[in-house]
Amino acid sequence: MARIYQLPTHTRLWLTLAMLLCSLPQLFRGPLWQSGLLVLVVVIRMLVDRQRIGLPGRTARTALLLITVALTFYSFGRLYGPDAGVALLVSLFALKYLEVVKLRDAYVLMVLGYFVCATSLLFYQGILMFFYVLACITLLTACLVGINHSDTSARAPQHLRTAAVMLMQAVPLMVVLFILVPRVAPLWNMQIGSGQVKTGMSDTLSPGEVSSLSRSSEVAFRVAFEGDVPPMAQRYWRGLTLSTFDGRTWRQGLPAGMSAQDYLVGANQTPPHWFSVLKKAALQDALHYQYRVVMEPSHRRWLYAMAVPFVTDPDLRMARDFRLVADSQVDQRLGYQVTSVPSATGAMTLTPQERQLMLTLPASVGPRARSLAMQWRRDADSDSVVVQTALHYFHNEPFYYTLNPPRLEQDSIDDFLFRSRRGFCEHFASSFTFLMRAAGIPARVVAGYQGGQLNPVDGHLVVRQYDAHAWSEVWLDGRGWVRVDPTAAVAPQRIESGLQAALDAQGNTASNLGLDFSGFSGASWFGQIKIWMDYVDFRWQTWVLDYDTGRQLAFLSRIFVSVTPMKIALALLVCLGLPLLLILGWMLWRRERHPLSQEEKEFNRLFRLVERRGLTLAPGTTPRQLAEAISDRWPKAATQALHWRQRYERLMYSALPGDKKKQLYHLRRLRNRLYKLLY
Amino acid sequence: MQALDKALAQVGRVVLGKEEQLKLALACMLARGHLLIEDLPGMGKTTLAHALARVFQLDYRRVQFTSDMLPADILGVSVFDPETRQFSLREGPVFTQLLLADEINRATPKTQSALLEAMEERQVTLDGSTRPLPEPFFVVATQNPVDQAGTFVLPESQLDRFLMRISLGYPSPEVELDLLAGGDLREQVRELKAVINGEGLVKLGRMVETIRATRELLDYVQRLLEATREDDRFVAGLSPRAGLGLLRAARAWALIGGRDYVLPEDVQAVWPAVAEHRLTARQGGSVAAMTQSLLQSVPVVRRA
Repeated sequence: MARIYQLPTHTRLWLTLAMLLCSLPQLFRGPLWQSGLLVLVVVIRMLVDRQRIGLPGRTARTALLLITVALTFYSFGRLYGPDAGVALLVSLFALKYLEVVKLRDAYVLMVLGYFVCATSLLFYQGILMFFYVLACITLLTACLVGINHSDTSARAPQHLRTAAVMLMQAVPLMVVLFILVPRVAPLWNMQIGSGQVKTGMSDTLSPGEVSSLSRSSEVAFRVAFEGDVPPMAQRYWRGLTLSTFDGRTWRQGLPAGMSAQDYLVGANQTPPHWFSVLKKAALQDALHYQYRVVMEPSHRRWLYAMAVPFVTDPDLRMARDFRLVADSQVDQRLGYQVTSVPSATGAMTLTPQERQLMLTLPASVGPRARSLAMQWRRDADSDSVVVQTALHYFHNEPFYYTLNPPRLEQDSIDDFLFRSRRGFCEHFASSFTFLMRAAGIPARVVAGYQGGQLNPVDGHLVVRQYDAHAWSEVWLDGRGWVRVDPTAAVAPQRIESGLQAALDAQGNTASNLGLDFSGFSGASWFGQIKIWMDYVDFRWQTWVLDYDTGRQLAFLSRIFVSVTPMKIALALLVCLGLPLLLILGWMLWRRERHPLSQEEKEFNRLFRLVERRGLTLAPGTTPRQLAEAISDRWPKAATQALHWRQRYERLMYSALPGDKKKQLYHLRRLRNRLYKLLY
Repeated sequence: MQALDKALAQVGRVVLGKEEQLKLALACMLARGHLLIEDLPGMGKTTLAHALARVFQLDYRRVQFTSDMLPADILGVSVFDPETRQFSLREGPVFTQLLLADEINRATPKTQSALLEAMEERQVTLDGSTRPLPEPFFVVATQNPVDQAGTFVLPESQLDRFLMRISLGYPSPEVELDLLAGGDLREQVRELKAVINGEGLVKLGRMVETIRATRELLDYVQRLLEATREDDRFVAGLSPRAGLGLLRAARAWALIGGRDYVLPEDVQAVWPAVAEHRLTARQGGSVAAMTQSLLQSVPVVRRA
């Protein structure tokens, strides 16, 4: 039979649908003209298919191509790189669709389609996207099935079914490959989505910054603890330490004369002296927390962890101020394993340069605050008494914890401490640190998150943007860096129960502040769904996306004891080859003996039933003899047996056309009735 | 099929109490097969053949086979006609619609094979010219199972030409009483009314071909054939020709039963008559019992 090189009509629908759905995620990201191009292409194609217009000629298509390339360059400023490249790919995909006439074009389009699907996963790897891409791939496969169908009267839905079955058959293979195939590091590092401004902590802290974060319920990161979960009030997730102050804004500062190599410790370098001491102290302490953090993309380099975090990941470094820093920006979800030893802070030393940095205050800011601090200094005989005095001050004076603090005048410190007295955590942390430095105690501001909510399903912790927090750390001789949270002195509920509780206690409700506290709340079904969605999302991340070389080795060494390439190759061979052999054998066996049909099974069921009821029958019993045997032994079942026999003979032997399914359904019903009658 | 029922009723009036055998004989005819009746003399073989011929309005000839018979005695012979100075064929008894070959095992193998060839080919070749036999053409052969002295037993290959082998057996006491009370059998046969003519019978034969047999039924037939081949109790299993014959006979049986599709029961009903004479036991024992046992052991509907 001559192949039809024309695209079969019954595949056109699937092809259009596949093209649209594959491009859809990119359209949301890409420039607006791209959606316009897609609509234009589909409309032209529809008109062509209905023979209203001819297929656009070579000139028109070339013009369209040039315009597309020009627009891409206009939108992105270049034609390479992930964003521009993918945009160009999607545009070309649409243009290719326009000129599909022959089977060969359709093949090109489909291969492009698979590729476009894959690029969707470059930007977002959540489980929903995964299923979406799976649906797209099913559609594309349905197209492949369709264009390879020789029967021109074939129906489109059948292709989809065939494709779905084929993909389902591929699932075990996928799982085996996923588990066993070694992960190869990417050949090039793509900077995807860099420079996009999203909610999240910035590297400076000025009044009003954290409170604006508090209006977002986006997830910042998730934590799965192995073993003990620290209580709410101890869950301080440090991100940044801010040590220089210009009177309004706190920034990061490096002590003078310290090399970056001495400040940051990576896994592959000889550790500086302070790190060895810290590590030794950490080993002696029994209290430590082990957990895995999965961070949402922050497009920053710093990571979040509790003090003092130790990591083994070669891409992460620990800074002298107990922070974790990644080698590159966190542009995709990042998982990392941390062991935190809270008491190790005492092993740290303070160099004179650091002391100098932690005491520096901008001149001419906060004269009243300075004098208050000096007075505390004179009255107290130790640094810790000064700290206590300051906390008492915050607690006893009429300070308010509020999301909507009034604007501060020129001198943000004095104005807050002595006039407005209404502020959010950053106001308290900032002014407290100022007071400490003024009193001669080295101090710094720490920005990060505090608290977080436990997912009731598996107990992993979800930290959202509204958990953002700022607090202080002061240097006390003999104890090292000590965390002091002035907010706790004003609004203890914030620390113990979270922001919502704190605001409620202050007489504000979330709704009249326009806040979105869509964390896990209540037992409503909607709440339950959210909890489960969160759980699935987190597990997807930890089990699937974070399954990198390290975890693969860890997992495989549980099975193979020692993992060698030979063993992996053997396992692959066994896992893939054995099922293939089995399937082959089964197919050969099947060719010898076609499987029992539903009708045959139906007879066998009744036959077995009668035998179970104690009637011995020869294998050569015909349906009629079976029915007669039943009515002889159980006269009350005679009518049903007769009906069964008539229906069965008609179905099996009369070769009359009819609704087979319906016939089988009746037979099954009759058998069920017989089942009750045969006693 | 009313005509068939009537035919059965007619023949039943002279061959008393043998409905099953009558039906088989009828099925054999409908399936365009030849019939071998194995019985003692005087059991009504001739009456049966004669009655069938009457009922279906067929030309009927009877040949008594003897050891000194030659093929020409059956097929015919070319004779020189001095007047026309040409050879002309004098047709033998085989040129009829229903031939009763009595005691076929008394003839020499040469004569037997001449007849059997005619049965299979439905044509006769004499002196290089081929002449078709009448349509329809049936052979009802008889043989005496007990008196084997001076006989030439039909080899298996020849037996395969007969679609069915039946035996009538002694009548039951009541039937025999009726038989004795009745009048002259020959007279009664002559009084039988014709139901269908030969042409009608050919038409019915074509109808048999249209009886439906589903894939499942063919499967069952195949399993039965397979079972005879796999059973060590038999010297050899049934041939494909036997299988085709079995299916044709089952179809005819279904037609007699008034159905247009074949049931496993139809296959089972004709099974002994079709299979028994084709099978030989390896170490004695009743072939009939063995053949029957296969019906018990071969599943009608495939088991898991």
